[in-house]
Amino acid sequence: MKVLLTFMVISMALVMQSYTQINITFEQYTLNNGLTVILHEDHNAPVAAVTVMYHVGSKNEQPRRTGFAHLFEHMMFQGSAHVGDNEHFKLLQEIGANINGFTGQDGTTYFEVVPSNYVELALYLESDRLGFLLDAMTMGKLDNQRDVVKNERRQNYDNRPYGTANEKILRAVYPPSHPYSWPVIGYMEDLSAASMDDVQNFFKTYYAPNNACLVVSGDIQPSEMKPLIEKYFGPIPRGKMFERPKPVQLKTMKQERMMYEDKVQLPRLYMTWHTVAGHTRENAVMDVLSSILSSGKNSRLYKSLVYEKQIAQSADANQDGSEIAGTFQIQVTAKPEKTLTEMEQNVSEILNILLKDGVTQSEIDKAVIAQEVQVINRAATVLGKANSLASFYSYTGNTGNINTDMEFYRGITPQEVLSTAKKYLKEAAVVLSVVPEGKGELGAKKGE
Amino acid sequence: MKTTLKYYLLSMIITTLMINVMNSQELDRTKRPSGKNAPALKLPQIQKAQLSNGLQVWLVERHQLPLVAFNLVLYAGSDQDPLNQPGLTSMTADVLDEGTSSRNALQISEEIESIGASFGVGSSWDGSFLTLNCLSKFMTKGLDVFADVLLNPVFPQKEFERLQKQRITSLMQQKDQATAIANNAFSRIIYGSSHPYGANPSGTEASIKGMTVADLQKFYQSFYKPNNATLIIVGDTKMSDVIPLLEKVIGRWTKGEVPKSTLPEPSPVDKMTIYLVDKPGAPQSEIRIGYPALARSTPDYFAVSVMNRMLGGQFMSRINLNLREKRGFTYGARSGFNFLKGKGPFTASAGVHSAKTDSSVQEFLYEIKLMHDKGITAEELGFVKKGLIGNFALNFETSGQIAGALQSLILYGLPENYFDNYLQNIDAVTLQDVQRVSAKYLDTTKMAVVVVGDVSAVKGGLEALGVGNIILCDADGFPLDETR
Repeated sequence: MKVLLTFMVISMALVMQSYTQINITFEQYTLNNGLTVILHEDHNAPVAAVTVMYHVGSKNEQPRRTGFAHLFEHMMFQGSAHVGDNEHFKLLQEIGANINGFTGQDGTTYFEVVPSNYVELALYLESDRLGFLLDAMTMGKLDNQRDVVKNERRQNYDNRPYGTANEKILRAVYPPSHPYSWPVIGYMEDLSAASMDDVQNFFKTYYAPNNACLVVSGDIQPSEMKPLIEKYFGPIPRGKMFERPKPVQLKTMKQERMMYEDKVQLPRLYMTWHTVAGHTRENAVMDVLSSILSSGKNSRLYKSLVYEKQIAQSADANQDGSEIAGTFQIQVTAKPEKTLTEMEQNVSEILNILLKDGVTQSEIDKAVIAQEVQVINRAATVLGKANSLASFYSYTGNTGNINTDMEFYRGITPQEVLSTAKKYLKEAAVVLSVVPEGKGELGAKKGE
Repeated sequence: MKTTLKYYLLSMIITTLMINVMNSQELDRTKRPSGKNAPALKLPQIQKAQLSNGLQVWLVERHQLPLVAFNLVLYAGSDQDPLNQPGLTSMTADVLDEGTSSRNALQISEEIESIGASFGVGSSWDGSFLTLNCLSKFMTKGLDVFADVLLNPVFPQKEFERLQKQRITSLMQQKDQATAIANNAFSRIIYGSSHPYGANPSGTEASIKGMTVADLQKFYQSFYKPNNATLIIVGDTKMSDVIPLLEKVIGRWTKGEVPKSTLPEPSPVDKMTIYLVDKPGAPQSEIRIGYPALARSTPDYFAVSVMNRMLGGQFMSRINLNLREKRGFTYGARSGFNFLKGKGPFTASAGVHSAKTDSSVQEFLYEIKLMHDKGITAEELGFVKKGLIGNFALNFETSGQIAGALQSLILYGLPENYFDNYLQNIDAVTLQDVQRVSAKYLDTTKMAVVVVGDVSAVKGGLEALGVGNIILCDADGFPLDETR
């Protein structure tokens, strides 16, 4: 338990060059039932964010029940023992709150941003669905939200250009037993199969105070919050322990090359490598490398493919470090009639130069200062702070990492970027070509 | 540190006592907590100044974070695009930061990146915008580039040609997206070819191909003037610091005459018609229903905002509860009035399961017509007004939100005390006001329906609805049996 000064402190430090860092202060404690509570004061505006994050996501699902964590998230908005159907939304929209929830591979987050005089209402609603969801669950509600989620899938994946590329890559890059091998939205047939038993078991296993954290951030007084939090959340019983999926050593695989036709005008190449989980030094280094490759006009891929040669419409690189594994991905959308073979050759050439000659300190510095500004911007809203505090607690076990995470980016040298790139960016694990219908000849062919 | 700790221990004991007291009685969960007194919202204090060249500067100081945001708002929106040259405003914005008399495109980008800033030029129907967001300690460096791009752009031919091709390709890519097709076709259909809002603000392949650097330069020289702009600054700086800097870097920007034009009146939709764009095999249909409705200057703004929040402006709206929560046709359905300088559209929209296309159109029309005929109940009025009033406080939290609020005052010439009176104006809306505006602005017989979906799967059902003729269109909203 820690008490710190309650105002944001801006500290300037001199390490090689001056950098700007903000310090987010918070107080953290645990209720008897295991619920972790994090409080952060910010009185700049009369608003407060209440975030509840459950440490469960699609990686806790079973193979023929994919999409369940997210479908379950929808069920959390359908009322609980003391809150009627649609009343959760009604009570919050009546006070002008912003409300949502989101599900990822590793966690599920619910939040309300409310005028600060209504924090108690949000605590009441969040505690009622944590404590009393199943009393209000019906088959009718499950069927309705199953339809809504299927429409979400149609809208954001099936009816969207390149919308199913990601799930095809996940399926190829991870073995079928790996919990990152299926998409968070899930497969249609699995959504159809989800039953009331599944809802009850999932809730009983994962929606327990000891698998959650509650953050209240904004225009609040911790001394007023604590009794309220105890009042609403204290009586909810602790849940049983369960086993979390652990990182597994992935076997080096032979490169998998795939192609599919989509209703698109331009072919797009996706190259994916296994890298490293988030909240690590290597994740930061690979993140910096992704900026060097594709952030801004002077970045290597963009400058060569989009700006100079003009053979590509876009070029992006991204390091995605999740809880138990990570990937690095390069995406290039070709100009009309250009082949993905040409894209792949160009990308390989650029990577080979990088792996031979390395990068410059100035390229690293640009990536690091961009990250620095991003971290500062995270603190611009009470919700941004609440969600970050919740993530750092859930994924690193140490909420204070919110203020030290930037350290992963400090002191990165060209030598370190080079050695990390050499370690991970060997042959890509998966190369996927997405081509317009009937244009298979535009796909990436190896070694031509 | 010691005293803090002691104080803390004391407060912990008190807290524990309180908890014990409370646990001794069972919590009655049927009682909903009510809000305490509403906290006071301090509206941003706008400081105003004028540069020697006449440029208006509005500043809101915020020192919580070491960042400062600049937004130069120019009265030069895509509504100024000549009818035969859609895309001119947005192309001018795109090429503006591609080279100055002393910096090339790569240098501009490099200087901005080296200070971790973001800089961009963009446009909307109502304006063009130069935006710079940077660490306050790098404000001088950032403004140097900002001013150079604003004052000395050279529109290099080779960068123009690159962006021309880039734009044509991205127009092609819009055809991949059902939502983009629906939005473009809907605008074309309800505004026709004689109103700027009927065109795609990104242009067409032909209009972009036909454009030259000289066209962009002419647009720039006509509209990018200090007397046609206001600079918004929000963040970690002071007027006394920023004005001398601005005088130094943009003091030379000179006034000039700006072309005046008035937007034509859009022709009304004469009868309900369903326009169908084919997207073979689409698992969903994108639906748009509406007509050219209201300008931002309408005196009915508050009454319409209250009415629409109940119709389709929030999760708990009638449209969303019906189409999503009751029937499961969609991931989300909504309606909105896009209040622009001219008469922007009313649009009810959703992406729906293909098999439910006709049923969805039917439910949309049912809800709009019900609102048209009966307005809302007293209970709904209270619910919506309370929500809008509560939500108001959430809109002034970040520098970006504040800059956005100021931008709307500037673009639409709203009174300076607009936000001071906002809550009062919402509160003053009566049931009769809502009834009057719903009857006036929601006549479904004067609306068009646009559906982008698999024609072979949805056409029969739509015909059977019997609400209007069906016209098959291409992806730009032009009827297939007519020549353009």
